[in-house]
Amino acid sequence: MRTAATLFIVALAILVQATVVNRIPFAWGTGPDLVVAALAAVALTASPAVSAGSGFAAGLAMDLMPPAEHAVGRYALVLCVVFYLVALLRTNTGAPGAVGGRPSAWTGIGAALAASLGVSAAYAAVGLVVGDPRLSLGALAVAAGTGAVLTTLAAPLATLPLLWIRTAFTEDEFATVQGPTRLGGW
Amino acid sequence: MFRDAPRSRLVLALLVTAAVALIVLDSRAGGGPVTDTGRRAGELVFAPASSAVSAAAGPVTDLYDGLRAGPAAADRIEELERDNAELRERLRAAELDEERAQQLDELLHLSGRGGYEIVAAQAVTRVTSHGYGRTVTLDAGSDSGITADMTVVNGQGLVGRVVEVGKRTSTVMLATDVASAVGVRLEGTRKIGVAKGGSVPGGPDADLTLELFDLETPVEDGDRLVTLGSHDGAPFVPGVPVGTVEAVQMSPGALSRLARIAPVVDFAALDVVGVVVSGPAEDPRDSVLPSQPDPEEDR
Repeated sequence: MRTAATLFIVALAILVQATVVNRIPFAWGTGPDLVVAALAAVALTASPAVSAGSGFAAGLAMDLMPPAEHAVGRYALVLCVVFYLVALLRTNTGAPGAVGGRPSAWTGIGAALAASLGVSAAYAAVGLVVGDPRLSLGALAVAAGTGAVLTTLAAPLATLPLLWIRTAFTEDEFATVQGPTRLGGW
Repeated sequence: MFRDAPRSRLVLALLVTAAVALIVLDSRAGGGPVTDTGRRAGELVFAPASSAVSAAAGPVTDLYDGLRAGPAAADRIEELERDNAELRERLRAAELDEERAQQLDELLHLSGRGGYEIVAAQAVTRVTSHGYGRTVTLDAGSDSGITADMTVVNGQGLVGRVVEVGKRTSTVMLATDVASAVGVRLEGTRKIGVAKGGSVPGGPDADLTLELFDLETPVEDGDRLVTLGSHDGAPFVPGVPVGTVEAVQMSPGALSRLARIAPVVDFAALDVVGVVVSGPAEDPRDSVLPSQPDPEEDR
């Protein structure tokens, strides 16, 4: 149930991002990234491996959607690494959610902001390696800044519902478990 | 801080390797069969969803326009009665249709003057998720006879060129994209140069920059540019209006002359465009440019 709801919401985020958000003519050239916002919720409630896998899958889906302006795999690589790190930091620093506690709404929004900045930086870094001629420091700063602000504003719509669904269903699963519970898992 | 199970690390390593392999496969010239199949699958999902959004977008676009128009428009909307609003909605829809018809008309005029054979299409996306590339998606693809490296125009002039084609969508790199370079010719003197997207190093801050190879070329503000045309008309057919020279930069010691170009196309309001599927039999030279209003006034 938890997995099905997650798959549905992430797939919806990808479709809305590709067909609706990218259609809006933002004057400053970049819009909110709903996919990053939705995956932030997954990274706060899943193990690093699962969160890397979902980042890869969602990124690949975004790569394959038109417009085909960058190489397939670029976004998949970036999302996979960034959400692996978010999940890793969450499990290793004892942040809310590490020891079975619920990540708060502010943690979700903060994770979306941090992930958005990370994704912008990593996307630009990959661009540097493959020799993207459009890359410049000014363009990067504008894209990363506005992208992070707009993604944070979109987080209550994409991150929080998914976070809520995922924590709500964890509780149901754990209610029947006796004794110490294992961390992480699907 | 970064402790993790070995199995989890193995998963990450596998995924990163897969992503890098995909990037390498897709970056090769000509593209790979794997990524092409993937893009076709992506388009299969995108095309119906996008046309559904297109059908539903009319009222939403109006709302967005209203929000952008500022508080004055919002106040006025509040004052209006509900049935009034509905009537105005209908009127706006009719105006939108009329405007599209007019754009198509202009497109037909331009293609008629130049002898181009075009396929009309509509731009369905305008920004990319990271905002670096200036690309748009069109709602027509190889089913309509479009292939990669075709010129895209609208009623005013050059929009860009097709870089990627699917069955029902295609990606257009705009002339203002930093990776774009268009061979151009000055109206009248027939001197050639390159119109590059964005600013070039050492050049003026601009959407389009003209780089002239001949330092002695007389070029003045207000001179107009048309495309030079490429071999076999791909990626650019000859004679399409590109822009007007706005400011010429004098830099002593430079190897080329730089000038800022004002594009003839309003890239912020891109809607109906045409993809040139077959170029003219012979170079139309300057005949596609609209007649100068009053040449004496420029001096």
